[in-house]
Amino acid sequence: MGEKIIIKGRKVVKGKATGKAVVSKEPITFVGGVNPITGVVTEAGHPLEGVNLAGKVLVYPTGKGSTGGSYRIYDMVTRGTGPVAFVQLLAEPIATIGAIISEIPVVDSCEPNPCEVIKDGDFVEVDADNGIVTVTKA
Amino acid sequence: MRLTDVEKKMLDGDMGYPVQKSMEIMVALGESFGAEKLIEIQSTHMPGASIVVAGEAGTKFVESMQAKGGKFCAYTTTNPSAMDSAQWREMGIDEESGEMQTRLTKAYENMGAITCGTCTPYFLGHVPRFGEHVAWGESSAIAFANSVLGARTNREGGPSALAAALIGRVPAYGFHLKENRLGKLHCKVNMPLKGVTEYGSLGYHVGKIAEQDTPVFTGIPASVTLDELKALSAALASSGAVALFHVVGVTPEAPTLEAALGGKKPEIELSFGPAEKAAVEEKLNKEKSDGAGWVIFGCPHTSIQEFRDIAASLAGKRIHKDVTLWVCSSRPVVKLAESMGYADIIRQAGGKLICETCPVLTPTRDLAQKMGYKILTTNSTKMAHYSPGQFGLLTHYGNQEQVISAALTGKWR
Repeated sequence: MGEKIIIKGRKVVKGKATGKAVVSKEPITFVGGVNPITGVVTEAGHPLEGVNLAGKVLVYPTGKGSTGGSYRIYDMVTRGTGPVAFVQLLAEPIATIGAIISEIPVVDSCEPNPCEVIKDGDFVEVDADNGIVTVTKA
Repeated sequence: MRLTDVEKKMLDGDMGYPVQKSMEIMVALGESFGAEKLIEIQSTHMPGASIVVAGEAGTKFVESMQAKGGKFCAYTTTNPSAMDSAQWREMGIDEESGEMQTRLTKAYENMGAITCGTCTPYFLGHVPRFGEHVAWGESSAIAFANSVLGARTNREGGPSALAAALIGRVPAYGFHLKENRLGKLHCKVNMPLKGVTEYGSLGYHVGKIAEQDTPVFTGIPASVTLDELKALSAALASSGAVALFHVVGVTPEAPTLEAALGGKKPEIELSFGPAEKAAVEEKLNKEKSDGAGWVIFGCPHTSIQEFRDIAASLAGKRIHKDVTLWVCSSRPVVKLAESMGYADIIRQAGGKLICETCPVLTPTRDLAQKMGYKILTTNSTKMAHYSPGQFGLLTHYGNQEQVISAALTGKWR
């Protein structure tokens, strides 16, 4: 087992989930930035371009772009191509609403900065109800 | 959150499943963002009106709300769908998608929406007043409604706008509260800007830095047009998630820089001049060849003034045989362009008028492959931003004159 890090945050959307981390230091848009059929990020020049989000705990600063993102997240989660949880610096409404109807947990206002301490492939347990993110380093 | 007695009954299911589910969404959203109560809204502009956005799951969600008796209690207009309802087969939309889109549009209509299919509802008389609370989706329309009109809306996604229309309420947080509407960044515009493309480049530069925060612009003259403000709104919400901006001396919450910033110092000072403009143009001009390919106007939707300008530059001319020209707008504006004679001029030049959709909301990646389009040429910053990732098409990005010239000659210069 690798080293464990506990990150404290704020519950945005209730629930618990676990998965491997995908980490972006740049904001993400789900419409125009991710292919819903495959779960792969398509935005040209994005640090996650070509990365598959399916089944992952997505760690990113915040959302941007289209307001179509809420349904897109719901469609991806329903298809099984969506992330299983969001860990964010700052929640915004579009991804939050997508997470509410998809019933996936969201935690924000995390300390220490999850985009710095979590790396791709780390195993992440998100307990949004208690605002705790447990990271096991890969 | 504090709920009224009526709202508690709504949440308990006394007014049916669609109202109950909508209350659950809004209470969860309100609690996420620390709202103390719900507030009543005057209108909704509905995103998630395209199957490209809603997907199969979202379409079924909207249909289930309608099937269970959902009725909109706020005035509601719809954002573009995935197709022109009068010529979708000619656009290259397949039967399955056409059928699903028809179902989705019908579900919104049956709940009481005006299914105008446009990202510029303010050109069709959906014009919220100053200070009015509304629940709008469509990132460009949100920024326009908040900033240019001074209405108050958060960035609503499809499900929250649907819930807002069904219960006539939204949680009181974010841009509904006066104290959250002050500017945080200041951008000094150091050069005269002209036309939607240059204002779009400004928005693109600032949106990337602002993310969710509110920028305040100085150096933009009072003569800035509605179309230029429309383009600025769209670009700020493409590279970032800007929902509100102020233009000192132009928009209603910015009589002075001090007022727009609430007397505080801006957290970030920016400037925009020839170097910043050139950097945006270089970033969005990804196509290396000189082919023109698929030439598109209308993101956000073409206004009647833009129709007039496009028609004037195409009068008596023919577009190049290798070029496909689309001009996208709402059907009422296209009807007006027809009665003014602009539509005939564009059609005689070889252009197509496309209603109720746009490349951002139609299955453009599939259409491009089916129709053999490889390059997209546009004057729209928002479309140039989304094109490479979403459509798989590299872009030529320039002003209307450059784009028309490319349409006529088949060459980008």
